[in-house]
Amino acid sequence: MARKGKHGFPDQIETDLAVKVEDAHYVYPNGRVVALSGVDLEVRKGELLGVIGQNGSGKTTLTKLLNRLLKPSSGSVYVNGLLTTERTVQEMSAHIGYVFQNPNHQLFARTVKDELEFGPRNIGTPEEDIAQGVAEAVDFFDLGEFIDEHPYRVSFPIRKLVGIASVVTMKPSIIILDEPSTGQDHQTTRIINSLMRRLAEDGTTVICVSHDMPLLADVVERVVVMRDTKIVADASPREVFADEKLMLTTNLQAPQITNIALQTVFPLGGPIALTPKELAADIESRLKKGKR
Amino acid sequence: MPKPIILFDSVFYTYPGTDSPALSDVSLEIMPGEYVGVIGLNGAGKTTLGLSLNGVVPNMLGGHREGTVVVGGLDVEEYPVREMAKIVGIVFDNPEFQMSQMTCAEEVALGLESAGIDYDTMRRSVTEALNLVGLEGFEERSPLGLSGGQQQRLAIAAVLAMKPQVLIMDEPTSNLDPIGKQEVFGMATTLNQKYGMTVIVMEHEVEVLAEFADRVIVMDGGRVVMNGAPREIFSRVDELQALGLRVPEATALAGILRKTGHWKGGVPINTTEAVHSVNALLGVKA
Amino acid sequence: MTMNTSMPTGMIPGSSIIHRIHPVTKILWVVVYVILAFTTQNIFILYGMVIFAVVLALLGGVFRPLLKALYLIVPVGSSLIALQVLGPAADKPWTVLAEVGFVTLYGDGFYYALVLLGRIVSSMLLSLVMVMTTHPSDLFLAFSKLKMPYTFNFMLSMTLQLIPVFQREVSLVLSAQKSRGMKGSGFAAVLPSFVPVFVGAIERVQQLSISLESRGFGSSGEKTSYRQVTARTQDWVYGICGATAMIGLMVYSIMQPGLWNLSGMIPFSPRTILTSFTVAVTLFASVILGATFLSFRKS
Repeated sequence: MARKGKHGFPDQIETDLAVKVEDAHYVYPNGRVVALSGVDLEVRKGELLGVIGQNGSGKTTLTKLLNRLLKPSSGSVYVNGLLTTERTVQEMSAHIGYVFQNPNHQLFARTVKDELEFGPRNIGTPEEDIAQGVAEAVDFFDLGEFIDEHPYRVSFPIRKLVGIASVVTMKPSIIILDEPSTGQDHQTTRIINSLMRRLAEDGTTVICVSHDMPLLADVVERVVVMRDTKIVADASPREVFADEKLMLTTNLQAPQITNIALQTVFPLGGPIALTPKELAADIESRLKKGKR
Repeated sequence: MPKPIILFDSVFYTYPGTDSPALSDVSLEIMPGEYVGVIGLNGAGKTTLGLSLNGVVPNMLGGHREGTVVVGGLDVEEYPVREMAKIVGIVFDNPEFQMSQMTCAEEVALGLESAGIDYDTMRRSVTEALNLVGLEGFEERSPLGLSGGQQQRLAIAAVLAMKPQVLIMDEPTSNLDPIGKQEVFGMATTLNQKYGMTVIVMEHEVEVLAEFADRVIVMDGGRVVMNGAPREIFSRVDELQALGLRVPEATALAGILRKTGHWKGGVPINTTEAVHSVNALLGVKA
Repeated sequence: MTMNTSMPTGMIPGSSIIHRIHPVTKILWVVVYVILAFTTQNIFILYGMVIFAVVLALLGGVFRPLLKALYLIVPVGSSLIALQVLGPAADKPWTVLAEVGFVTLYGDGFYYALVLLGRIVSSMLLSLVMVMTTHPSDLFLAFSKLKMPYTFNFMLSMTLQLIPVFQREVSLVLSAQKSRGMKGSGFAAVLPSFVPVFVGAIERVQQLSISLESRGFGSSGEKTSYRQVTARTQDWVYGICGATAMIGLMVYSIMQPGLWNLSGMIPFSPRTILTSFTVAVTLFASVILGATFLSFRKS
């Protein structure tokens, strides 16, 4: 169906890309404030993508264009081949899930179980499938003991997991996580880290917006860097973190271990290490081979 | 022999309506002018520790407290929180939740107004405080229009207007973007190094604490389990990781290599030291 | 009266004569206006007040923003006139002006509509002028000088601060629910989603009270104020003039014979009334149609 909307874009396209954004612009409706100027992005199915940048760089606007909370002022956004402009947020929610930064903005049901069932019920999932999906999520997120609790009675880290789980039960093929580790301690961050990994392994496309460089370094395959309403870099974490000029101009900092690697093993041909383990392994192999 | 500015003596505290203590047998001393970092998992008692310093715990929140907390020579339990505000200031993790006034100047002046400070002194203090945190000229602006980093600096200014001796910052950067984090951590260092303030920072950003703190306190389940210089504490990599905590990546690196017998020399706690040690290890000429 | 977001409810910065008038004087003027507006039925006085408010707006440099406020007047005013001409709220007997088909137009209704409109518009315009030329903080300072309790004043100012915040929170919550497929914008469907907003509000208040307490806020005893406004001689003069004018006009309104019989005021010709009625109905209908059309076009 190549029906064209009034903007001239086909309503649906044949593609195996999860996300295809072409020359998207976004201007706030009430003023002349530009949030996005000419963004292009292609995300393949099953990719684990990180989006970084300062507040105001446009990263949240970009993700909201993806799930149709916002409509591009110009340009096109295709999610699973469907043009977002021609659809509602609710329709898109069957394809792309959005986990809000603050779980308190999402949770309102009487029990955690109700919370997990809310999403799939809204999009018309058959009851048996809902039950199965919820059971899987409870297992995946280890929420067994909290299932009959009121969402606001569980601790904040658990609430955060419930927030993510309540989107996962909708079984979207794409999930956006907005600052999943902000305000979390290391333990919870590690859980979220492994969560994202497992989701991607299951074939879900995961897009993670975050300030947490060590979190991303460890888990994403690709990083999109935004500054001043544009994408200024789109590469692997190693390439991005090794780009000193980029880090400087975006006021971002590579993980400490990467900076160490860049000043030690990298000039010797070693890797741009993303974790202490990786750097340690390289140093060890060098030492074993004898110095130099 | 200088006296400690903060003294905890066998403090136990339980929040009202709960069974397990939030603080359990906490005893510690902090000297004037120290920059102290407090780390621990959420729920370990870091916030409770901070709130105990200005009396919010137990005077405002109730609950059951044993032991004594003395700050600036005053027994915290004996004085109302508003009195303690002249000695201890506290800044929280959500910058927006600390804003209540129409303009930045009024936000800063809030405590001064309640203390009945005269108009001219008040105006001066407000300008000084705003200048100190890098918000010159922001007097008439609305706090809600500021960035997260600016709001947090405004919160610091509001606290500084009371000219406290101790500044507590409870996870001040968790809701901020990287620029905001830099601004706030920079502020903490300036206040400590340039103005000699005693600064206590509860944080997860161990790399920053390793760099700037004089001392690191580790809390777990309401107890103080470690208390010492950053280098000493962070080199106990396995123990900290068993508690679910991070160490600076530089230190973690050394920790791994030490286990396989490959590390030489002391434990690095920042990038420069790690680079130096690794290059020495690899025989790379500087 | 519900003000939508396109109406200017905030202050327009400036340093005109009007801006510099003491906030207490301005509050007094608003009170004077409202009392006078609702106790007189003299069309001259009412529309004189409207013109005076416009003059003040011009002096204050807030005329343009004020015009935006008048957008609401068009549908309200025209519907008022149209309906009143058809069925006056004044006492019978009604003066019949004309009969157009099956509808009868009454003269009394026209006058009544004008009076009602005059009351609303004059009060509203002056309040707006005052709000636009006064910093909210000075307004609250004025309240406290008028001996409003400190806590009450503070709560009021905080509420004002928090309105945009809660608008944002509600919109965030609705976005989150829509993103989970929640359909239906019926109020009942949306209501449970407000739980998060309440929880957020409670958390906020808790945090804020600890933060304020920790800054020494709320001590009993003498409080000083960062914001200062000094009462100048002019402010006293304006205040007294206002009060005097009000009393004078009120007395005039009461004493003027034949005042309560509206029809005796100015003889509007039946043609004027008929034309005004047609215009009013047309304006009202076009506004309604336009709004309906626009709401269906929005996707």
